[in-house]
Amino acid sequence: MLDIIVCFKWVVDEAFIRRTSSGDLDFSSVDYKISEYDRNAIEAAVRLREECGGSVTAVTVGPPEAAKGVKDALSRGPDRAVFAEDPLFGGLDPSQTAAVLGQVISSKTPFNLIICGEGSGDVYSQQTGPRLAEFLGIPCAAYVQKLTVKEGRVTAERKVEGFIEVDSLPLPALVTVLPDIATPRIPGVKDTLMASKKAVIKVGKNELTAVPPPLLKTKSVRAARVERECEKFTAEVEDIKRFVAALQKRGVLK
Amino acid sequence: MAGVWVLGENREQLFELLSIGRSLADRYGTTLVAFAFQDAQAARDCIAHGADRAVVLKYKGQEGPLDVFLPAIVEEVKGKDPDMLLIASTYKLKELAARIAERLKAGLCSDCIRLVFNEGEKSVEMERLMYGGSAIQRVVCLSRPAMATIPPGTFEKAEAGSGRVKEGDVDEIVQTHESAVTILERKVRERESKDIREARTVICVGRGFEKKEDIKLAEELATVLRGEIAGTRPVTEEMHWLPESRCIGLSGIQVRPDLYIGLGVSGQIQHVTGLRDAKVICAVNRDANAPIFGVSDLGIVGDLYDVVPKLVDELKKGL
Repeated sequence: MLDIIVCFKWVVDEAFIRRTSSGDLDFSSVDYKISEYDRNAIEAAVRLREECGGSVTAVTVGPPEAAKGVKDALSRGPDRAVFAEDPLFGGLDPSQTAAVLGQVISSKTPFNLIICGEGSGDVYSQQTGPRLAEFLGIPCAAYVQKLTVKEGRVTAERKVEGFIEVDSLPLPALVTVLPDIATPRIPGVKDTLMASKKAVIKVGKNELTAVPPPLLKTKSVRAARVERECEKFTAEVEDIKRFVAALQKRGVLK
Repeated sequence: MAGVWVLGENREQLFELLSIGRSLADRYGTTLVAFAFQDAQAARDCIAHGADRAVVLKYKGQEGPLDVFLPAIVEEVKGKDPDMLLIASTYKLKELAARIAERLKAGLCSDCIRLVFNEGEKSVEMERLMYGGSAIQRVVCLSRPAMATIPPGTFEKAEAGSGRVKEGDVDEIVQTHESAVTILERKVRERESKDIREARTVICVGRGFEKKEDIKLAEELATVLRGEIAGTRPVTEEMHWLPESRCIGLSGIQVRPDLYIGLGVSGQIQHVTGLRDAKVICAVNRDANAPIFGVSDLGIVGDLYDVVPKLVDELKKGL
């Protein structure tokens, strides 16, 4: 039996971020989603429960709007959710998120294994998982693409430059997973109906010992620009000749 | 005590960190210290390449998980109080950096691509990508030390200077703790041929290719240009037409060749992020509105199956 916690984040869907004519980012028509990496993490948790038995608890930290994400997460198979909710929880840095998750998890949810996505789809700091492991004082393996649990240990195949390293960790442990770990299901109508019957434990800021001060301050967020010449050619032979001449002129043909 | 400290898994990573580390150390008016794992020669080479001091982190026995050094590194930082820690963004070091940061209660800028010294505040403002590469976030650490992980390939390598290495410049820290993690096995991921990071010319295969066999078209172009083949995320990680080690983009590798040619590459921002430092970007795509044309120097609007053979012929004539 395995009690699994899977952490997820409700993030801006970057596909809806527009760029204004002046080159600024326009968030006026954005929608939100469960961070894509976390959808795969949820799927991995649910499949592991199907293999080993036990439970899956989905945990998130976010503003009240993230309630929509909690329901979405539950429609993907977890048994229950824990939602640390506060208007200020939309703008936490990774150390704060880890601290809130850590307090919520140690007070509300017994576990053997914590699964996090490798990073979030918005900020992609890839820090919350490893920081949470340190906060809880448990072993950690990041960038895992295959997981098996047997006799109180988890075997994790993790991606490293050039090769795969197979690690064995004693439980309780934390892993962060790559999207390869599992392809997320598309919840059906029935899953969505079931989700609204599942338990959601809400935790307010006042129930936590403390939310530590931030360690990172964002000074600005601006549109990334790649400035290029944007010269276009057709597929006609004459144009291909001009194209090759343009390459030659730039000195990039050896 | 103070200092700018750099930590990398190999020489190349360390030399890159030493070049940016040197400029920051000079601005802080402090020393530059390099940390290498296990390899004392690499540590000495760091001094030749600009470090004032080098430390080799040594395993007690066999090499194992990097977190055996976690307590020693944290103690060393607490004792010597460096201004800044710069760590190579490899899979393992990204994890280690976050864990060091958590133990130190330090802020960490992940995958930092630019560092700007703020003279007035004596702080470093760091830039990184967010929202899938569509935005640049500028952050400062509110902690001491400030920490950043830096993707390999972001900075030029520091050059070696002569006569820098003296006896006794390399200190040793021996592993103090055991890891809870056991490494069972190391499996070769796939044939790792020439690293596309080093290639001067990169031909990138996108979803415009209809089937795996057609990649030979791209290979013909690569042969005549003496370039390397790379792919977008769908082609590598999803279709597995090319090894993942050849994936360019946010989830893969950042390249900075002289010439990049994207064939049937649409130009999703996650991919484009991986080639922003290429000298000349070219694209072949039959969709005139494909976003790749907006970030290309030279674009051919046409079907790659028609264009590539013509291009190969034309290049053969000129070379």
